[in-house]
Amino acid sequence: MNTTNTPILSARDLRHSFGPTDALRGIDLDVQAGEVLAVMGPSGSGKSTLLHCLAGVLTPDSGTVTYSPANQAPRDVGGLNEQERSRLRLTDFGFVFQFGQLLPELNALDNVSIPLLLAGIKRPEALRRSTVLLERLDLGSMSGKLPGELSGGQAQRVAVARALVTAPTVLFADEPTGSLDSLASENVLTLMLELVREAGTTVVMVTHDPRSAAYADREVIVRDGAISAGYRIPA
Amino acid sequence: MNNSLTLLGLLGREPSYGYDLKHSYDRYFGIEKALAFGQVYATLARMVRDELIRAVGEETGGGPDRKKYEITATGQDKVRSWLFTPDTPSETLQSDLFAKTVIALLLEDDADRLLDLQRAEHMARMRELTRAKKDAQLLQVLMCDHGLFHIEADLRWIDLTTARLTQLKKELQHA
Amino acid sequence: MNSVLLKLTITGSRSAYGRLAGIAAGVAVGVCMLLLLWGGANGLNARDDRGAWLRETGTPSATYPTPPSAAADPDIDPDTDPAATSEAPTPIPLTTDAVLMRSNPVEVFRDQLINRRDFAALDTTTVSIPGVGAPPAPGEYYASPALQQLIDSTPRDELGDRYGTFAGTIDDSALPGPDSLVIVTGAPEAEIRNSGLNFLVTGFTTDPYGGNAATYTTVLSIGAIAVFFPVLLLISIVTGLGAAERRERFSTLRLIGASPRVVARIAAAETAIPSLIGAVAGVVLAVLLRPVAAQLPVNGTRMFISDLTTGWVAGLIVVTVVVAAAAVTAAYRTSRAGIGPLGVTQSAPETLPRTRRLLPLLGGLAALVLAALLSRTANDLSAQLQTPLLLGGFAFTLVGIIAAGPWLTLLVSRIGARRAHSAAAVIALTRIQRTPAATFRSVSGLVIAVFVVSVFAGASSVIETRPTPTATPGLPQPTSVTSTISTGTTTTDTTSMKDRLEQLPGIRHATIGYGAAAFTEIGAEREIYLRAEDAPSLGFTSIPTTDVVTLDMSFLDTWTTTPVPLLPTPTTTFDRFVPVVIMVDTDGTPGAVDRARTALNTSGITGTPGTTPTDLELQSSARLVQGLAVLAYLGMVIAVVIAGVSLAVGTASAILDRKKVLGLMRLMGMPTSTLRRIILQEAAVPLLTVLTLSIGLGFLVAWLMITGIDDSYTLTWPGTDYFIALVISLTLALAAVVATFGLIQRNTTPTTTRFA
Ligand SMILES: Nc1ncnc2c1ncn2[C@@H]1O[C@H](COP(=O)(O)OP(=O)(O)O)[C@@H](O)[C@H]1O
Ligand SMILES: [Mg+2]
Repeated sequence: MNTTNTPILSARDLRHSFGPTDALRGIDLDVQAGEVLAVMGPSGSGKSTLLHCLAGVLTPDSGTVTYSPANQAPRDVGGLNEQERSRLRLTDFGFVFQFGQLLPELNALDNVSIPLLLAGIKRPEALRRSTVLLERLDLGSMSGKLPGELSGGQAQRVAVARALVTAPTVLFADEPTGSLDSLASENVLTLMLELVREAGTTVVMVTHDPRSAAYADREVIVRDGAISAGYRIPA
Repeated sequence: MNNSLTLLGLLGREPSYGYDLKHSYDRYFGIEKALAFGQVYATLARMVRDELIRAVGEETGGGPDRKKYEITATGQDKVRSWLFTPDTPSETLQSDLFAKTVIALLLEDDADRLLDLQRAEHMARMRELTRAKKDAQLLQVLMCDHGLFHIEADLRWIDLTTARLTQLKKELQHA
Repeated sequence: MNSVLLKLTITGSRSAYGRLAGIAAGVAVGVCMLLLLWGGANGLNARDDRGAWLRETGTPSATYPTPPSAAADPDIDPDTDPAATSEAPTPIPLTTDAVLMRSNPVEVFRDQLINRRDFAALDTTTVSIPGVGAPPAPGEYYASPALQQLIDSTPRDELGDRYGTFAGTIDDSALPGPDSLVIVTGAPEAEIRNSGLNFLVTGFTTDPYGGNAATYTTVLSIGAIAVFFPVLLLISIVTGLGAAERRERFSTLRLIGASPRVVARIAAAETAIPSLIGAVAGVVLAVLLRPVAAQLPVNGTRMFISDLTTGWVAGLIVVTVVVAAAAVTAAYRTSRAGIGPLGVTQSAPETLPRTRRLLPLLGGLAALVLAALLSRTANDLSAQLQTPLLLGGFAFTLVGIIAAGPWLTLLVSRIGARRAHSAAAVIALTRIQRTPAATFRSVSGLVIAVFVVSVFAGASSVIETRPTPTATPGLPQPTSVTSTISTGTTTTDTTSMKDRLEQLPGIRHATIGYGAAAFTEIGAEREIYLRAEDAPSLGFTSIPTTDVVTLDMSFLDTWTTTPVPLLPTPTTTFDRFVPVVIMVDTDGTPGAVDRARTALNTSGITGTPGTTPTDLELQSSARLVQGLAVLAYLGMVIAVVIAGVSLAVGTASAILDRKKVLGLMRLMGMPTSTLRRIILQEAAVPLLTVLTLSIGLGFLVAWLMITGIDDSYTLTWPGTDYFIALVISLTLALAAVVATFGLIQRNTTPTTTRFA
C-alpha cells in the first residue's frame, strides 16, 4: 500500500439523490494511490452511486470528489464539464461491470482495442497491445470469439482487459464477479489483481461478496447512503 | 459466550436482584440452556470482588437473592471494552457476538459499530487467508477456503443482523 | 391464448407504450397514404372516364371521290390532309342525329391549353353533348366553371371575345377535374365547314384511352407500385420497432413456461392491436385529409373530392390486409428469432445474406430487357407480353434491390471493417457486418425512393430535352402569333384584319403571306409570298432586294429547326395569289399574345387558330408522359418523405435497442461525437452502397421501360429537378439521422441505464 498522505481520490460530504430517493447522504472517503478498496454494503445502499460519483459519471448534488494523481494538480471531478469528465474517464479511469458490457457484435480483441482507438492510437498498435493483454488474462485463444460465444468468466476477463488496456490510474469495478461462480470469480480477481498490483493501479471495487472483498487491501461498508459507523474516517 | 460479561452487561441497564438477573438472562439467551442459580451467584460474587458491581439497598445482610446489585464505573468500562473488542473469528464466536449485540441494544449502545468492528476483524482474517492462498499448494488452498467459507457464513449473519438491528431493538425493548 | 400473458406483454413499461404508440402512428400514416393513393388512382380513372368524350374524333364531314381505295378504307385517319385528293369533296349534309364538330387542336390562353369544341347542329338535333345537352346556338357557349372564371377575370379582348355569350356551365360529370378548361361553343355551319377541321359526330366515345390504353395503364401501374412500395416498407419498419427489447420480454415469458407458439401468437396480437388502432386512425385521417389531397394538381388539374373517395369496402380491405400482414409478420419474425427461455440464440444473431439474394434483381432486369427487345419486334404475342413483362420486371427490380441490399451492405462493410481505423468506424462497420439486413432495412425506404426518383427522372427526361424556342432568324419569332387563312378570303378582308390587329395594344406588326391557294385547298403550294418590307418583323436579317420575297411553308411548322431562307422572286404583285397566312408580331407580353389570338380566332377568316412556337410544348405527343411526370414527382415526394421517416424510425430503434451498451460506452468515456459518428456511419454505409446502384439501375430501368413502351423515345441526361430531388433526399436522410441525435444524448446518459 502506498504511504503518501494525499489520497488519490478523496470524497467529502458527498450527497446525491434520485428524485425522492437519497442515494448518498454525506459520504467522506479517501482512497490511497495504489490501494485496492472494496466497497461493500447491502443492495440499494448506494454503492454504485458512490462509484459513479467518484468516477465522474454522476455529478453529486453537493460535496466534492478530488482526484489527485501523482505529478498532477488535484482536480475536483464534480466541477468538470461533461466533455472533460468523458476525457478523464477515457484516459485515467477503467471500468468493469457485472455483465453485458461488451459490444455484442465485436470480437474479444476488437472489444479490448476500442478504448485505445478512442484514445487516438493507430489500429495495428491497438490490436497488438490488446493481444498482449488478452494473453496475460489467459484469453489468447479467445481473441476472435464474439462475446456471445464466451463463458461468463471469459467475458469478464475480456472486460477486465478492456478496462486495463489504456493503463488507467484508477480502475472502477462494480460487482465484477456478481454473476460468476466461486471459481470463476477467483480466477477473474486473481488475474485482475495481479495486473493491477504490478502496474500500481488504484482499484475501487464494489462488491457484496466478502470473498471478493478479501482480495482488497481494505473495505468500507456503505449503508443507507452513508459509510457505516465502524469505517468512517476518524474526525 | 462469556456469561459473566453478559450478566455484567445486563446489570448495566439498571440495578437488579440476582433472581431477576437470572430471569432476564434466560429470556434473552437461555433459550436452549437456562443458567443455574448457583452459577449466577458465584459470578456475582466474583464481580463484587473485582469491584465491577456492588450491592445496594437496605437488605445488605440477606442472602444473595435478597441483594440488589448495581454496576460500578469500572464495570461499565469493562462492558464497553468487551462490546467493542472484536473477537477472533472462531466457531464459538457467534453466540458471544450474539450476546454482545443484544447487550449493546439493551444498553442502547452502538450495535452497528460493534458489528462493523467484528466485520472488519473478519475481513482482515479473510484477507490473510486469501493472501495465504496465493501461490500455495492445493491442499493448503482448500484449507484456507474452508476457513474463508466459515468466516463468510459469520459475515452473512452479521450482514443480516445489521440489516435487522432496528427491528430487533424494538422487539427487545418490548420484551 | 392466455389472456393474462397477453395483458402482461401489452401493458408494460413506459417504453412499451412508446413502442405501441410508434407502431400505431406509423401504421396510421401508412394506411392514410394507401387510401389516399387508392383514391387517387380511382380518381384518375374516373377523371379519364369523364373526359373520354373529349377524345371523340367523329367521321369525315365530306366524301372524297378519289382515290376510291382511300375513301373505302374504314381506318382512314380523319386528320388526313384533304388536299391529298385531287377532286373537290362533297359535303355530307347535317341530319338530326349528326352534328358538325370542329375540335380545335391549339386553343391556348397564356400557357394553358383549352379544350374547345365548336358545334353546328340542326335545330331539331337529337345529339346530346356530355355535360351540356343540346348544342349551343351559334354565338353562345358553355364553359367549365374554371374556364368561365378565367373568362370573367380576364379582359374580354384577350379571351372572352373568342367565344361569344355565356349560355351556361358544363356539368362536372363531363369534366376531368375542377381545373379543367373546357369550352363548347355554337357556330354557324358554314364557318365550321370552311375551317377545314370539321367532322360529323353522332355520339361520344366512352373509351378514355384510345390506342394508348396499354401504355397509359402500364405507366400508371408502375407509378402505383413505386409509390405503394415505400408505404409498405414504412409499415414493415414500424411494426418491427423495439424488437430487441421485446425479445428480452419474450424470453422471460418462455422462461415462465410459454411455448414458442404462444409467444408467436402473443407477438402477433401485440402488433395487431396497435396496428388496428393505427389503421382505423389512418382511415379517419384519410377522410379528413381528402380535401387537402384533392388540392394537389395532377396532370394539370386538381381532383374532385368525390374522386378520392374509396368507399368503405376499400377501407375495410386496407385495414384488414395491413393488420393481418403486420400480425403475421410479427409472429413470423418472432418465431424466426429463436427466442429460448434464456434469451435469443446469441451466437448467430442474423443469418448472413447469400449471393442468391441477387437473383430477384437479375430476374427483374432480365424481364425488362426482354420487354425492350420485344418492342422492336412488333407482333401480337410481343404486344401481349410486353405489359406483364414491364410490370413484373419493375416489381421484381424493386423487390430485388431490397433483397440485394443486405448482401451488398455486407460486402462493403466487410471490406471497410478491415480498413477501419477509428473506434466509430470499427463499431459501426462490425455491427453492419453482423446485422446487414437490419441495418439495411432502415435505409431501404430511401434507397427505393431514390430508385423510383431515378426511374421517373429518366423517363421524364424524354420530354425535357426540347430546347425552349429562342429568336432565330429564319424561324418564327417566339413572340409571334400565326394563323392560316381559310378558303374564300379576299385581300380586302385580310387588309382590314391587319389594320385592326395593328391597332391593338402590344401588337407591333401583322404580315400577310400569300400563296396559290388556301392551305386546305387542292391547289395549295409550298411557297409563301410576302412583301420584303414585312420581312424584318418576322425576324429575318438577310433579305433579298426584290419587292416580294418568298419562303417555304416549313417556316410555319413548329418542328422546323433549321432556319428557312428568304428567296428573291420576280413577282411584284399578289394578283395571282390569295392570302394564306397571317403572322402577327407582338411585344411578347401574355396580354398582347392573347389579344392577337383572340382577334385572329374571332375574325372569321382564319383556318387554324393563332399559334405561337411555344404552343408545341403544350400539345406535344409526349404530353402523356409529361402529365404523368407530375404524378411521378408527387410519388417521389411521398416516397422520399416516407423514406426519411423510416430512416429516422430505423435509426432511432437502432439506438434504443442498444441503449445499454451505448450508455456503457459513454460511461467509459466515449465522447458523444463518436456515438454520433457510429450512428451516422451505420446509416451512411448501406445508404451510399446501394444508392449508387439505385441511381444506375433507375436510369437503366427507365431506359428499358421507355424503349419497352415505345422504341422511338430516347433518354438523355436528367434535368435539374432530378438533382434537386436527389439532394433533397440526401438532406432528408441526413436530417432524419441527425434528428435522432437528441435521442442518443438522452438515452445513453450513463446514469439512465443501471449496470449493476
Ligand atoms: N438512476 C436511478 N434512478 C432512480 N433511482 C436510483 C437510480 N440509481 C440508483 N437509484 C436508487 O438509489 C439507491 C442506491 O442505488 P445504488 O447506488 O444502485 O445501490 P447499490 O449499488 O448499493 O445496490 C437505491 O435506492 C436505488 O433505487
Ligand atoms: Mg449497485
